[in-house]
Amino acid sequence: MEKSIETIWKEGFVKDDKLIAPKVNDLYNQKSIDIVSKFKRMYKINVIAIVLFSFIILPVSFVVKIPYMGIMMFFLFNVIIIVNRKTIYKLNKIDNSLNSYEYLLSFKGWTDELIAVNTKFSRFLYPYMFLTMFFGFWCGPIGGDIPGEVVVKGFVAEFPNTPMVFGFPLIFVGVMIFAMLFLALVGGRIGKWDFNLGYGRIMRRLKTMIKDMEELKQ
Amino acid sequence: MSNDFYTNSILPHSGIIIKICRAYTDTQEDFEDYYQEVCLQIWRSKDRFREESKWSTWIYRLALNCCLTLIKKKKNNRQNIASDFEQKEIGEENKIFEDESLNLLYVAIRKLSEIDRAIILLYLEEKPYDIIAEIIGTSNNNIAVRIIRIKERLKKLLDGKIN
Repeated sequence: MEKSIETIWKEGFVKDDKLIAPKVNDLYNQKSIDIVSKFKRMYKINVIAIVLFSFIILPVSFVVKIPYMGIMMFFLFNVIIIVNRKTIYKLNKIDNSLNSYEYLLSFKGWTDELIAVNTKFSRFLYPYMFLTMFFGFWCGPIGGDIPGEVVVKGFVAEFPNTPMVFGFPLIFVGVMIFAMLFLALVGGRIGKWDFNLGYGRIMRRLKTMIKDMEELKQ
Repeated sequence: MSNDFYTNSILPHSGIIIKICRAYTDTQEDFEDYYQEVCLQIWRSKDRFREESKWSTWIYRLALNCCLTLIKKKKNNRQNIASDFEQKEIGEENKIFEDESLNLLYVAIRKLSEIDRAIILLYLEEKPYDIIAEIIGTSNNNIAVRIIRIKERLKKLLDGKIN
């Protein structure tokens, strides 16, 4: 008579050494490769998106007749691309023949460096972006009235005794300097927030994995 | 994960974890990955164990959920996995156990749907229906009916030596 599935199950496992648990040692090899490749993929996509955007914004700015803003933005994006190319080069140099723990630590070192560069860069980036947009709107489209001049004329007509600096009301210059200083001051934080928005989840996973592996190594 | 936790809290239940992981994987490499992932999940989730059920029941549930999640992820990553499974019969990679009938039974179990695999594993481990129902999240009656159907399907597969 054929054995029932219950009997096969019971008898099959009686003297079988296949129920010996495998070693829990290779736990993170695949995970570490996955997390780094996911980050690399996201990072490269972001850089490509910036390249594309910079080449789109330039002709578009000429078409809509605000070329000053377009040229300044194009310049800014290309500086970002150059900085990022350097960091990608360093990322590709991480030795993937290291064991998982060392590999993740090297990768973490690289991300720390990236965050530090990004934070420093953001202190210039955001004031520059503000300046770019301000001049874009100030100069307005080519051919028409210059909106900035119209505003200044109106302001001077309203407050004839206002002190002027290089043809601009002092209060305007003061507000501009204050806004740029403020953005330079908080630029680092905005940069970190921006980085976390894109890569926060993956960075938290990375930290958890390193922490787990450190406990595993004990 | 500390060695103490692994030795005292996971290792005594490693048998069932191995049996469950074997039912959801078809290669040694996948099996080891699943086993390790289940152990890691148990360790990570240990603080959420509320003693409302036995530790062993909680481990069953966690191991099953973990395997179900992994198999879904794997399916998403490799959409042709289903056809891979269909094609795998009792090749060398499936001859894991010394007992030939047990190897065949595992091949048959892998032919079942993911939930049916979970139910039959718990049944074969002689878990009472109410515990199976609790783990799967359904009623005792449903489990009883489902088990009869699964056993019939397995018998058919084994009699026809799978296909």
